[in-house]
Amino acid sequence: MAIDDGRSFEHPLYHYWENSPGGGIGLTTLDRLLMHSARHSLWFFPMATSCCAIEFMTAAASRVDLDQAGTIIRPTPRHCDVMVVAGTITVKMAPRVKKLWDQMPEPKWAIAMGSCAICGDFYRDIYSVVPGVDVIIPVDVYIPGCPPNADQVMVALQRLQEKIKLQLEGKFVERDLRPGTMIYPKIGTHGDARQSAEVAQAQLDGARGLGVGGKEHRVPRPAAVQAPPEADATSDSGEQS
Amino acid sequence: MNLRQRDRINPHLDLDTVDAAADLMALNMGPQHPSTHGVLRIKLFLDGEVIIKAVPYPGYLHRGVEKLCERLTCVQLTPIFDKHDYVAPMTNEQALNIALERMLGVEVPRRARYMRTILAELQRLASHLLWLGTFTLDIGGTIGGGASLMMYTFREREPILDVFEMLTGARFHYNTHQVGGNRHDIPDGWAAAVKTCMDQLAARMPEYEEQCVTNSVFLMRTKGIGVIETPLALELGLTGPNLRASGVDLDLRRDAPFHAYDEIKVNVAVSNGCDTHARFEVRIAEMYESIRIVRELIDNVPEGPICSLKPVRTVNQIKLPEGKQMYTAIETPRGELGTWLIGGGAEKGACPYRLKIRPPSLHAMAALPYALVGHTVSDVVAVLGSLDPIMGEVDR
Amino acid sequence: MMGPVDPALREALAKQFPDVFAAEGDLDPNGVVVPAALHVALAKTLKESFGFTLYVSVIATNFPTAEGETYEVATVLRNPTTAQPFWWRVRLGADPQLATLYPLFAGADWQEREQFDLVGVNFVDHPDMRRLMLSEDWEGFPLRKSYAIDTPHTPWR
Ligand code: SF4
Repeated sequence: MAIDDGRSFEHPLYHYWENSPGGGIGLTTLDRLLMHSARHSLWFFPMATSCCAIEFMTAAASRVDLDQAGTIIRPTPRHCDVMVVAGTITVKMAPRVKKLWDQMPEPKWAIAMGSCAICGDFYRDIYSVVPGVDVIIPVDVYIPGCPPNADQVMVALQRLQEKIKLQLEGKFVERDLRPGTMIYPKIGTHGDARQSAEVAQAQLDGARGLGVGGKEHRVPRPAAVQAPPEADATSDSGEQS
Repeated sequence: MNLRQRDRINPHLDLDTVDAAADLMALNMGPQHPSTHGVLRIKLFLDGEVIIKAVPYPGYLHRGVEKLCERLTCVQLTPIFDKHDYVAPMTNEQALNIALERMLGVEVPRRARYMRTILAELQRLASHLLWLGTFTLDIGGTIGGGASLMMYTFREREPILDVFEMLTGARFHYNTHQVGGNRHDIPDGWAAAVKTCMDQLAARMPEYEEQCVTNSVFLMRTKGIGVIETPLALELGLTGPNLRASGVDLDLRRDAPFHAYDEIKVNVAVSNGCDTHARFEVRIAEMYESIRIVRELIDNVPEGPICSLKPVRTVNQIKLPEGKQMYTAIETPRGELGTWLIGGGAEKGACPYRLKIRPPSLHAMAALPYALVGHTVSDVVAVLGSLDPIMGEVDR
Repeated sequence: MMGPVDPALREALAKQFPDVFAAEGDLDPNGVVVPAALHVALAKTLKESFGFTLYVSVIATNFPTAEGETYEVATVLRNPTTAQPFWWRVRLGADPQLATLYPLFAGADWQEREQFDLVGVNFVDHPDMRRLMLSEDWEGFPLRKSYAIDTPHTPWR
């Protein structure tokens, strides 16, 4: 696990302070400060390999602007706290990813962005593709999608900050599950943090193929808009894969 | 002294034959380097700071797509093709579907051809905008001010993606083409959205261009750097803007028309500079041309059906004739994207037997050992950025 | 849109390569089949006399038959003035060897390396016949039909 029991924050000065009178108060204040700054100055290391990297760049650029959350994108592993794996990891790349992960200083976290990094997407079965980056490194937050929308990176960042806060407060942090292995009721907890209970339930029902409200649900098409059968069927079949 | 570039530079130079007094140093760039446009590794052999020999090692994103193509049916292939060149997925889908249509002899309705043309040009704009942003980012550096233009170009790219989203429901990886036509018809208000987006871009493009061409540092870093002479460019198989920047007037949109390009006039930008700056100029000119084409077409999309075949119901409804082989190519933002298609594979011919993709980026990368020699390390990113390779397409 | 060979070009080529181009009837619409010995000569003629100077692609394909493995190597060139492509195919046996086009076309360097890497066709006299896409220690040629798509590669997959 990347999130450990907090021992990596320990500094030799701690012992000195702990034993001096009144030092405990200073220590808790320092802890709060550390906790605050660790959450709000996460530096991102873009392990950007393919398509998801473009969406990650969009997240860093004008519209979503990751900078507003205090992040800086640094292409040097030694400066960074969070590795964002955006894209397919191949067998040839895997040792490098491992090496870069090892070069990052503790404490460090990892975000797997896109289905390729989560489970390999439809390249999963191919001879040269690693089926999910958690084969190599421990992942804290998964962002599902192919590619995930750029603002989902922001949501993942919030989820990570929440996890860091809990962990530094010494609370139990439940491990995020790889979306592929998730059972249904967990979908809401993983996705958009601002999602309301109804939306989560609707999404859940939709995923189960029940339609909204648990019933067979279909919006009838008004007669005036009905297109000729050929074109109608064409536009009907546009499901995204 | 007047040797051709091919004879002057040997990419397989045996370093043992180099003067032993020269103090050569090997420098490894990548595969995780922010300016290599993905995952590319280049091994540079340096004398001081001057590159003697450059050996690129691609393949860090080899996803085995050609093997996957033999296992999936023609209907399932379109979303796979989105993912090679992830900066221009529209044109990639079109390349596949045109190859299948030509092999099967399927006609595409006029409305679908017009829509495809508009989508291709919009995609060219989005792709070139991303290129302009990353190219200047590479040259200027994040801290050195290169990031400012990148922020603008990403802002301009967003409306184009929004327009695509209106049509297909996806920001990229659209899956909007199928054999015989398109899947999604134009929604209400789409033409107006495209026009607004084009007006905005047309008004702001001169500003972005000016930011580069009036910047003396930019000019110093691009003029005369990374020269690829005309005969070498042809031999290497460079295509698209890279070839046109080396002085060859070849554009498949005009010379071997597909979509609706036979009904409109395409002005092809050509430059004789052969260097990084020429490639910059050609791409900027192409962007103006794309805006013009989109504006010309958007009001003239003919009425009619958008697909000549039945809509997709099952995955193996399209069968390829056995033993037929064919090379088909279209012009994408990066150049000639070709497919060598052999019919009659698994699933009673619903899968291709073999599908080789001819990626323009791989040929552009092959120019690196020639273009880099004699320059300094800092020029590597400028040359690489100007060739506009996409590693997904290089490695597939 | 484009036939593999246009008549005027065929007539001109028939003078130099009577075996291939002077045959009766239409040429194979899938591309002319050329003996391996004429491969380089044909490319040279096309490049130097007919203006096919743009190197487009090389495609190797594995065809397992009842008698054993066979291979086909197709080469595509393009004339930049007329934008006309031209392609031909060479049939090879179980041990695929073909002369390289590297001296004529610099682009053949990487293209042939890629086909060697994925299909296992050996291009003779190529200056640097290494794998391009896969790592040096890879075993097998993935695009051969006998290679399983999900071949494991420990410890990574
Ligand atoms: S998840 Fe989809 S978008 Fe992301 S890298 Fe994989 S194929 Fe590309």
